[in-house]
Amino acid sequence: MKCYLDSLRQGQTGKIIRIHSTGKLKQKLLDMGFIVGADIEVVREAPLYDPMELRIHTYLISLRRSEAALVEVEVL
Amino acid sequence: MIKVALAGQPNCGKSTIFNLISGIHQHIANYPGVTVDKKVGRFNYQNEKIEMVDLPGTYSFSSYSLEERVAKDFLYDETPDVILNILDASNLKRNLYLSFQLLEIGIPVVIVLNMTDVAARRGISIDTKKMEELLGCRVVNASGAKGEGAEAIMEAVFSVYRQKERYENFQIHYEMLEPFIQEIETAIAGADLPLNRRWTAIKILEEDQALIEKLDNEQKRLTEKAQACEKRFFDMYGKDVAAFLAAVRYDSAEIVFHRCVSLKHGNKETLSDKVDQIVLNRWLAFPILLLIMIAVYELSIVGGYKLTDYTWPILAGFKSFVIDRLPEPDFINVPMITDLSVWMVNSANALLNYIPVFFILFAMIAIMEDVGYMPRLAFILDRVFKKYGLHGQSTLPLVLGGAMVGGCAVPGVMSTKGIADERARMATILAVPYMNCLAKVPFYTLILGAFFKDAMGIMMFYISTVTLFIALIVSKLLTSTVLRTRETAPFVMELPPYHLPTFKGVVLRAAQRVWVYVKKVVSIVLVVAMALFALLQFPGLEADSKRIFDEKVEKALSTFDRKLQSNPYYTLIDTREKVSTLLNAYDHYKSKRMIASGSQEAQKIDEAFLKKYPNLFILLKPHEDQAAKTVNNAVRQLSNVRKDLLRQIKNEKIEKSFLGIVGHAIEPLTHYAGFDWKINVAFLSSFAARESAVATLGSLYENAKADATRAEEAMADNGGYSPLSAVAILIFMILTPPCIATMIVVKMQSNSYRWMLFATFFPITLGLVSASLVFGFGNALNWSGLEAMGYFYASVVGIALGLGAMPSRLSAWTRANIKN
Ligand SMILES: Nc1nc2c(ncn2[C@@H]2O[C@H](COP(=O)(O)OP(=O)(O)OP(=O)(O)O)[C@@H](O)[C@H]2O)c(=O)[nH]1
Ligand SMILES: [Mg+2]
Repeated sequence: MKCYLDSLRQGQTGKIIRIHSTGKLKQKLLDMGFIVGADIEVVREAPLYDPMELRIHTYLISLRRSEAALVEVEVL
Repeated sequence: MIKVALAGQPNCGKSTIFNLISGIHQHIANYPGVTVDKKVGRFNYQNEKIEMVDLPGTYSFSSYSLEERVAKDFLYDETPDVILNILDASNLKRNLYLSFQLLEIGIPVVIVLNMTDVAARRGISIDTKKMEELLGCRVVNASGAKGEGAEAIMEAVFSVYRQKERYENFQIHYEMLEPFIQEIETAIAGADLPLNRRWTAIKILEEDQALIEKLDNEQKRLTEKAQACEKRFFDMYGKDVAAFLAAVRYDSAEIVFHRCVSLKHGNKETLSDKVDQIVLNRWLAFPILLLIMIAVYELSIVGGYKLTDYTWPILAGFKSFVIDRLPEPDFINVPMITDLSVWMVNSANALLNYIPVFFILFAMIAIMEDVGYMPRLAFILDRVFKKYGLHGQSTLPLVLGGAMVGGCAVPGVMSTKGIADERARMATILAVPYMNCLAKVPFYTLILGAFFKDAMGIMMFYISTVTLFIALIVSKLLTSTVLRTRETAPFVMELPPYHLPTFKGVVLRAAQRVWVYVKKVVSIVLVVAMALFALLQFPGLEADSKRIFDEKVEKALSTFDRKLQSNPYYTLIDTREKVSTLLNAYDHYKSKRMIASGSQEAQKIDEAFLKKYPNLFILLKPHEDQAAKTVNNAVRQLSNVRKDLLRQIKNEKIEKSFLGIVGHAIEPLTHYAGFDWKINVAFLSSFAARESAVATLGSLYENAKADATRAEEAMADNGGYSPLSAVAILIFMILTPPCIATMIVVKMQSNSYRWMLFATFFPITLGLVSASLVFGFGNALNWSGLEAMGYFYASVVGIALGLGAMPSRLSAWTRANIKN
């Protein structure tokens, strides 16, 4: 099932299909390891729901939902 | 000289390794992005001159943040001899992503696997021999925090440096991108390049503007060429270059990782995960945050103030040391140098008195940084901050500035450097000065002591918590108006694993920040204090009033003389000079005995005075000698007369001074807020440092009886103020501008005088308007002081919450019309 990263719930994992952004944000995401084919697990949501904490490769990244909404994933 | 550059991803331990090798103490924290400027250390190692540069951490060399610019510019312009690439061994894969980019540059690289202790604990073992083979460079193990690895690192640096010529360039094979790289290489064949050609070609394909700009007049052609290549590549393979390069590099990292790393106990839950389950838990996160705040408050503010009881005598000792060496006054003619020195020492002491508080506060903050709590704090609070145009990363500056309990805007503003989001960074720079400045506390205490003795607790609560709301309002206003068009950056932040802080690291950093504060005291504030002194002294008394004062002295002296003519000790005081000496000795003796603690110390003072004034001492301490007692009494009276006259002179001087004139001149403007010229002068003088306000008010309100009555009471008794005007004064003080030191750092960080001026005058206007509103309404509606403050507080909180609830129109990113 394809969807955007921001709609994943805590504990779900997805595989990146595509990154729908340009310029600075895209480069930043690439540099932090958001490359096509990488697995992302939603570790938890912040106490106020936004941002979300993700595990990608072996480390933890916090990402705002508005930015997660640009990452298309295949839910595993 | 060997030029070594330390490069690596944020938080991998570069600064720790830098300190370990160079012995220079750098800022270290478990907070990605602590080193933003590059730091240079020059030292000798085995008779070889080394220049080592600690670069800011960068996740990659392709994006556009400030840190990356600093790091890139250094590598491009100054071509170091060796790049020391520090890697976090417990997070190897992502760290290798940067290593590949560094290896491609063509400058010899030595790889340092840092944090091997953490890796070992997690059961990660790395085959360094294999890694050397795969990457074609030296790989060294180290543990910065444990102090291991310095020799091995330097040995590798030396050997690589000596065989520089034989260094073989590392290449990644970019598969179907290769023809395009070739194409660009041909295009730049003629150019005179400081760095490796292939690498330059790759960078041009990435459209690295910083590099393209360095290729002079070819800029436009190369950019167009790169864009054409990208387009063709996309048409042929349906991939865009940036994503493709990143993917290849990550794949290569993956390969190296798999060949060199063996995991002993798989991916089991780490301690950090377990801690996060509690610290970041939806229900526990805020209670824990609150507990931490309370702990910081108790330890630093409450505990720190207790400590000042022990440190204050040191400062008092310093003051009396200085005073002892100054020329003595001749009755009411106090030499200018004496006045000035006392003023300066007082100004400095008032600031230095906070050192224990600051030290504890900064140490606690350093512990939170080292442990790794700060990024978590950003994670917890980002949602709130975002609503006001700030950023999760604004947390640290706000906390240093005083959001938690009180602090100092100077380190606060300075720590805004690491914020990637330009708009949020500017907003933070302008918001931090509203935070609760510790140096304002004595002023608040003075006013509260005078007007709100029964409601001190609640008033203090209002004062210290209202500031954060004000800062949020200001930042929201600014980001939706003047800062609207500023660049923003995505909030993609790493949550590093927790570390145990090292004692040395914490103490060092706290000391460093305190040192910044001390430097502020001795430099800027003292200069301004001196200027202020002049503004308060000159033009001085008019001839007429000076004559009147002199006559009063003469009268007092002749009364004194008449009373004692038949006294057996009269020969000791039969001239004007003798009386002056006795008077000064009496005042000294009194003040020394006042601060002496314990009978032993008192005895010492007695002995010292007996030695200094063998004849006069009996008059200072008459015991049972009736005649001496009479003299002693007369001297006391004379001393009181003198004190009274000095105060009157001072008052008159201040009123007639330049600052006094200005204070009077702006009365028409400030009377809406209920401020008279005295308050104006106090505020004007608080520009130097907030403490001056207390000093000035204190001296303005001390009066003849002031030996017993303190300034608080004097103000309440005869200031002509109501508690309502006190509230107006408080509100203005809460909002008033940063002190000079803060303004200077605002200038430094925003890099613009216009923002500095804005940061000065906007709060003044805001303060005056708010104070006038509260004062005006309060008078019209007959509010008590407490009511007025309560209403003010409620409206500020209300406005802040209202603004926060407003939907933000600033959403930065939209799912763009992307073709890939
Ligand atoms: N356990 C362990 N901790 C380390 C080691 N080296 C550094 N640290 C800790 O890691 C954290 C980050 O260290 P820094 O030296 O500030 O990292 P940096 O690479 O300079 O970070 P930036 O300047 O922000 O890019 C600190 O809390 C250090 O105490 C190590 O070898 N072992
Ligand atoms: Mg550093």
